[in-house]
Amino acid sequence: MRLKEIPIEGVPYDQLRIEKVPAAPAYQPRDPELVPAANRALVVNPDRICMPIGAMWAVLGVHRAIPFVQGAQGCTTYARYTFCRIFKEPATIATASFHEDAAVFGGRRNLVEGLRNLVVRYWPEVIGVVTTCSSEIMGDDIGSFLKEARARLRAEIGPEKAEQIALVQINTPSFAGSHVEGYDRAAKAFLQTLATKRDTPHDRVNIIPGLLYPGDIREIKHILREMGIEATILFDISDTLDAPLEPPQRIPYYPPGGTRLAEIKEMGNACATIALQADAGGSGAVYLGRKFGIPAVAGPTPVGVAATDALLQHLSRFTGRAIPATLRAERGRLVDAMADTFHHTMMKRVAIFGDPDIVAGVTRFVCELGMTPVAVAAGTFSKRFGQEVEAAFAAYRDLFLDTPKVFNGSDLFEFEEYLKTLPRLDLIIGNSKGVDIARELEVPLVRVGFPIYDRFGYQKRPIVGYRGAELLLYEIVNALLDYRYPDDRTQQL
Amino acid sequence: MPLEILPSRRGHAVVKESDPPVLPVCGQPTVPGVISERACAFYGARWVLAPIPDVIHLVHGPVGCAYYGRNVRRKGYRLFSTNLEERDVVFGAGEKLYRAILEACTLVPDARAVLVYATCVVGITGEDLPGICKRAARVVGRPVVPVNAPGFCGASQAAGHDIAARVLLEHFIGKEAGEPVENGVNLLGEFNVQGDLDEIEALLEQLGLKLICAISGRASVATMAQAHRARLNIVHCRRTGHFLAEGMREKFGIPYVKVSFFGIEETATALRVIGQFFGATEVEEVIAQGIRAAKVAAAPFLSKLGGKRVGLFFGASRIGSMAKAFKELGMDVVLAGSQFGCQEDYQEAGNKVASGTVLVDDAHERELLEFVTYRQPHLWVGGTKERFLMQKLGIPFLVFPQENDPFAGFRGFVNLARQAAGLVSAPVWRLT
Ligand code: SF4
Repeated sequence: MRLKEIPIEGVPYDQLRIEKVPAAPAYQPRDPELVPAANRALVVNPDRICMPIGAMWAVLGVHRAIPFVQGAQGCTTYARYTFCRIFKEPATIATASFHEDAAVFGGRRNLVEGLRNLVVRYWPEVIGVVTTCSSEIMGDDIGSFLKEARARLRAEIGPEKAEQIALVQINTPSFAGSHVEGYDRAAKAFLQTLATKRDTPHDRVNIIPGLLYPGDIREIKHILREMGIEATILFDISDTLDAPLEPPQRIPYYPPGGTRLAEIKEMGNACATIALQADAGGSGAVYLGRKFGIPAVAGPTPVGVAATDALLQHLSRFTGRAIPATLRAERGRLVDAMADTFHHTMMKRVAIFGDPDIVAGVTRFVCELGMTPVAVAAGTFSKRFGQEVEAAFAAYRDLFLDTPKVFNGSDLFEFEEYLKTLPRLDLIIGNSKGVDIARELEVPLVRVGFPIYDRFGYQKRPIVGYRGAELLLYEIVNALLDYRYPDDRTQQL
Repeated sequence: MPLEILPSRRGHAVVKESDPPVLPVCGQPTVPGVISERACAFYGARWVLAPIPDVIHLVHGPVGCAYYGRNVRRKGYRLFSTNLEERDVVFGAGEKLYRAILEACTLVPDARAVLVYATCVVGITGEDLPGICKRAARVVGRPVVPVNAPGFCGASQAAGHDIAARVLLEHFIGKEAGEPVENGVNLLGEFNVQGDLDEIEALLEQLGLKLICAISGRASVATMAQAHRARLNIVHCRRTGHFLAEGMREKFGIPYVKVSFFGIEETATALRVIGQFFGATEVEEVIAQGIRAAKVAAAPFLSKLGGKRVGLFFGASRIGSMAKAFKELGMDVVLAGSQFGCQEDYQEAGNKVASGTVLVDDAHERELLEFVTYRQPHLWVGGTKERFLMQKLGIPFLVFPQENDPFAGFRGFVNLARQAAGLVSAPVWRLT
């Protein structure tokens, strides 16, 4: 391989060092007044998507469920496209197909007729009715529309079949929050609508994973299995958005897996609820706790040693099961890997961006690795985010030479401008939207979080749990090595 | 045909039985409750305008629209949005937009213009977009052009194509003085997908022609301002190109021809038509040479494709010429459809396919599913959204607009043959 051709995590070496491709055609010094996002009316390169897509993500994790998007076609099409790009899987999402008449007269007809059409063509078990900004501004009264839709279904397909279809209303005006909140609202809406009274308590645990990938959910399942714990995973996308290819299949195509409707109904009877991400899904846990008196914890995302320890302790405390030797061995292997690689990670200056839960989790992990986070940015504003990263810093502050900068709810433009003022940066950790920044700053990028659309396989590789952390660690170290030794002098290490 | 169809969809899918064929009903709003393959008007406008490099693309709407709008083209440009939030929706976002325009111009001082896209939210709240843009334009000293394409307007993304074309015509094309260029041509409706434009330009150069502006595959503000100097407009994708061509004919008296550069025969015809207009003498030679080379290069692939069934479902005005190209590959086109075709598109496609072929407008996922289950095509051609579903059903999929090499021109045809042959005989399908 020629020196020029060695790729560095998304940035081919030739572009990094030899002929750099500018990220934007015109890149000039900025008016310092306009750099902080708070000073601007404008958002430049946002690191968040709209609320409905978070809700759609959630609904796609339920068995035989279809999101029905109460809005114009685009809102659905883009979301499908986004899911396709991330998961390389089909995403069945129905549109209410708003046109001019709906924009003027409201979306009643679209919802009633749309649900009917969806049901007779797909026979879903669950329909998540996801509102959009247009529907919210017009003031669609979804509750009464749904009653009407249900009545129509009863008349057309018979009361029995009509009652079997669960309709969950999820209000997601996209101007009021990001995909993170959309997921959170979906979790709460599902539990509010479906989880029923506590009659026969059982010892299952509820897990709300949040915006994690199929690989992460598989890792969580692995941990649960090792501990011998039965669990309901609400929004289990591990099979629905990572389905095997086994033709021929029946139509309409439904991917295997997903959380069963019956399981969701039972979630009120569980012994505890753990939301792995406080911002994405936390409200669901809190709701169950309040309503049914189930112990609930929300966050932190189990990335790295301490956060995974915390998860295992919670699980152990709630179920009375001991942490098995196999998991202890996994922890040991992770710590061993950290010792092996420490001389490469220590004091490396790293910038992290993405969704608040993920960034907080990764931040703590890089601190554990002895790296110095110089800037951490959450694209979605979150109250908990500041506290979580500050807690991580506090635990390791003695190792830092200078104070990390925290951006909460800012955009990538501000983040990038800040990084440019730093004397040195070794690594960026974030989603695919960071490619331009990495290129501009000539720093390797490790892809973590949502969305990752420009590389294959990332949705299958966990970052949670001890094993996930180990994989993430290797990713980080190898990116640093690739960068440092692009000519592949591996034998010198 | 065993296609089970919602009553409201009757007439949207027809089987070709006669010549001229009965055409599917088209241009209608999508039925609610289906898994639609259509996008919104905003998308259409972005699709056309996004490649313009030296302007600021400012999406006036919630941040989601902006993010999605960025995805329409694989370009590393900056994304500007007013990021409408609750208070803006309640109290109006006019002032915010005004400030945003000024800020964007401060951040990118050498942008030649600002395009302000209005999305659904703004379309419903009904702001005085033109007024605000005019006011801002006076301050920033360059055109600030509203692109009023809320997602719900029109039946599909095609509405957005028209809106974008109108914007280009009114504000960008022919804005500077200039003498006609003797051998100058424009390409309208050519987006330079994976280098298609380079292939076409090379062919035009062989005829001694000079490409002034390709809208919008290579359309900067500067080149568009000079576009009226061309003597002929070549319309490639009709959906956007036709409107522009008509407008330029009215405004500047430039005649146009509608051609396609997909497939051997279509490319040859295109060159002939264009060559004739300019009285170019070397046309036949260029064609003969191109065909000879393409046939030799494509030969090894054709043997893998003969008699295989293929279904086409993508952007409207290309289905006709692509249907023909696939016939040249020796394949049987069993379905030709589009999300947003017009009469003319289906007319053309209908004339080019064999009887028994299904013509369909705005088919949604379930219809496509049924079709492939019953007809078992060997290859499906369409957009990324359908791709993974088809693959789950065991059907090889070719993404079009393509993702690797150019498909236009003679050399593009060879690429098409290679891709199709590779996909049809992919070992993975022997392992399932
Ligand atoms: S809100 Fe409207 S303009 Fe924006 S993506 Fe959705 S359909 Fe398109």
